[in-house]
Amino acid sequence: MLAYIIRRLASTVLVMGIVAVFVFLLLHLSPGDPAAIIAGDNATNEQIAGIRKQLGLDDALPIQFFRWVSAVLQGDLGISIFSNEPVAKLISQRIEPTLSLALTTLTVAVTLAVSFGVLAAWKVGSWIDRSLMVVSVLGFSVPVFVVGYMLIYVFSINLRWLPVQGYSPIDQGVGPWIERLILPSIALGLAYVALIARITRTSMLEVLAEDYIRTANAKGVATRSVLLKHALKNAGVPIVTVIGIGVALLIGGVVITETVFNIPGVGRLVVDAISKRDYPIIQGVILIFSGVYVLVNLLVDLSYTLLDPRIRY
Amino acid sequence: MTTRRSILKGGLAAAALTSAPSVIGAKAQPSAARTVKAVMHADLRVLDPIWTTANISAYHGAMVYDTLFGLDGDFKPQPQMVTKWGLSDDKLTYTFELRDGLKFHDDAAVTAADCVASVRRWAARAAAGQSMMQRVKDTPVVDDKTFRIVLTEPYGLVIDSLSTISTSLCYMMRKKDAETDPNQQVRDTIGSGPFLYNRDETRPGNRHVYDRNPNYHPRSEPASAMAGGKVVKLDRVTFENIADEQTALSALQAGEIDFYEVPPQDLIDDLKKDKNLTVEVLNKTGHVAFMRLNSLHPPFNKPDARKAMLYLAKQDDVMRAIFGQTSKSWQACGSYFACGTPMTNDENTEWFKHGQDIAKAKELFAKAGYDGKPVVVLQATDHYLANPAGLFAAQWLRQAGINVDLAAMDWGALVTRRASKKPPAEGGWNIFSTTVTGITFADPISFTGQAANGEKAWFGWPTNELQEQLRNKWATAPTLEGRQAIAKDLQKNGWDYVPHVILGQFYRNSTWRKNITGVIGMPEVVGFWNMEKGVSG
Repeated sequence: MLAYIIRRLASTVLVMGIVAVFVFLLLHLSPGDPAAIIAGDNATNEQIAGIRKQLGLDDALPIQFFRWVSAVLQGDLGISIFSNEPVAKLISQRIEPTLSLALTTLTVAVTLAVSFGVLAAWKVGSWIDRSLMVVSVLGFSVPVFVVGYMLIYVFSINLRWLPVQGYSPIDQGVGPWIERLILPSIALGLAYVALIARITRTSMLEVLAEDYIRTANAKGVATRSVLLKHALKNAGVPIVTVIGIGVALLIGGVVITETVFNIPGVGRLVVDAISKRDYPIIQGVILIFSGVYVLVNLLVDLSYTLLDPRIRY
Repeated sequence: MTTRRSILKGGLAAAALTSAPSVIGAKAQPSAARTVKAVMHADLRVLDPIWTTANISAYHGAMVYDTLFGLDGDFKPQPQMVTKWGLSDDKLTYTFELRDGLKFHDDAAVTAADCVASVRRWAARAAAGQSMMQRVKDTPVVDDKTFRIVLTEPYGLVIDSLSTISTSLCYMMRKKDAETDPNQQVRDTIGSGPFLYNRDETRPGNRHVYDRNPNYHPRSEPASAMAGGKVVKLDRVTFENIADEQTALSALQAGEIDFYEVPPQDLIDDLKKDKNLTVEVLNKTGHVAFMRLNSLHPPFNKPDARKAMLYLAKQDDVMRAIFGQTSKSWQACGSYFACGTPMTNDENTEWFKHGQDIAKAKELFAKAGYDGKPVVVLQATDHYLANPAGLFAAQWLRQAGINVDLAAMDWGALVTRRASKKPPAEGGWNIFSTTVTGITFADPISFTGQAANGEKAWFGWPTNELQEQLRNKWATAPTLEGRQAIAKDLQKNGWDYVPHVILGQFYRNSTWRKNITGVIGMPEVVGFWNMEKGVSG
């Protein structure tokens, strides 16, 4: 097991290395020049050239790449071209809102989705099953930003129950913190609920058709116990896999949700950086996102051993 | 025994400990009643307003720094940091004396040496300053409060240049900051202006925080644009970066923000019906939308082809696409200097009075020897003007029988590609569209797009010797009347050699909560002095 974890961690480094090369080349070979954006609309070619030289963007690509990689290897993600602040500092300022949004979304989505999935499988073919599946299809089909605007319109503009936008750090009180996360979490979580609920239902239906479930029912085991103890645990592997895959979906959704609800998280940071061509920020964030994604998948793989003792690495 | 519950408890305890120092260290915040939260037209990215020509950096500059002179509401320069100034009889020496009590935010007095260094750094970057500096022999410091600008020849635009409201504005910095290489960004944000930049509370990309400068001594005259007393009646102003227009608008309607500089312009009529909001145009000179033509490559290396574009462009179409069918927030304009400005005139505008004429354009393209090669039109799909303007330009050109390559991209890519002098087929371009504020467009010196000195000119790089002679003549004309007369010649020549084609002049409405009063209108900058926040709303 330990050897497996070490092997996987080593492969994480390799994956991040490949991501680093890919992201660097993608950014630097695609059109866009931060110097031209910094200089402003009224600037001349001469002024733009001066800024480009000062930023070191005139150097050959391999030189720029090795400068960046050697700094990253020393734990330095670089300095933002526009704000002149260290990228690590900018990311650390933005990590709390993103983590808060991701964790509340995951918690709410997994709780609701698994419940819905189990319920739909239990009542398969009934109006409850059909209704839950219709809702899940809708949740998966409607874009995050549409859900976001609709929620803002109803709950913030009309009913005035919740704020439109922004983020309140948890150290300024749990009340304001949760108040500003409710709508974004619902908007972001809807697609996630739909995805997990459908997989849970399918997986549960498969398990509920197994002999040992029939035996449990014949023995007179309570339905709740059959569903949650016998069936759900055995249906868990595909559900956990989808939750892991869904982290990528979540990362993409976080970017849009943070924009719609004006949450100053890492997603907003990278979107703004892309429009400005702030290379060090984009490179730093994508590197971290890729690392997180690889690690989440490692955790998912390891969790299989808890759900199914037959699985060994 | 370690259980999941104990791990969870440990995690919660750790989270509580992590957040504890912030709670303990929390500082008293200015009350919401004296804080204005504003969403501006762009996110502030560069804090050095001399290094960049970006308008949002000029806004930041107006908060933090002060100017020697300021333009008033009638576009007349008025002393601001200066108390007295004079011009020698031979019109070669300007002498300036600073007001008493001027202090930087670090408590150091503002001296003449600071101002000389600031003027010199600004002049190295700004078009108006560069033109002035070509005639400056020396800038001696007389004493702590007095300095001079000594010219080699009389130059009527010295005071106008120092009070320019076109980016970059001539902001006064500390000598040690102003001595930074003009090609490098000043790191500190210590000015002597009405607001202090609160770096601790600022979160780049999210919020920029400005606190009232308690040591600022405003002039006694009433505030008027960049002139008069900049009396701060708020404790704090924050520039909130809300990238999504719909979210910003919802936040304004819900009272979460107080001021929204550029709301979606097609919704202005609806906003005017909201009893909680004031909707007003702050920049009365508006913005000019124009299509820049690349004079280096065919077909627009021929004046006839450029002139053909005058007959193709239909300003009404572009403006209606942006502002809606019923909006009165724009006008078609034929002046080379924006309409409603001191240099506006009617010379050589037959094309404008005539209106769109596809046949005439075809004839001019044929005369220019158009060879059928695709004309590359840059279209920034994320830009409110460059997107529809690109589409319309392509359509007009096709109607005139021109092959078009409509290159779709984002604005970031457009500003890079427009700097390329390569042939259009090799990554260059023929046409791009952008906007400039009316007051800048009206100034043959400050607007770099008015230069026609070939490879050194603004993108498009036109060459026209007469234009350069007239610009020089305009700059040295001693009176406004003299400059207005030369402006006619400039316009006559301009619409003959056609460096760009106007797509309309428009006036963007700003909106704010009804409890905000004392908002000062001016071109290029939004000032937060004089502004008050009432209790209701």
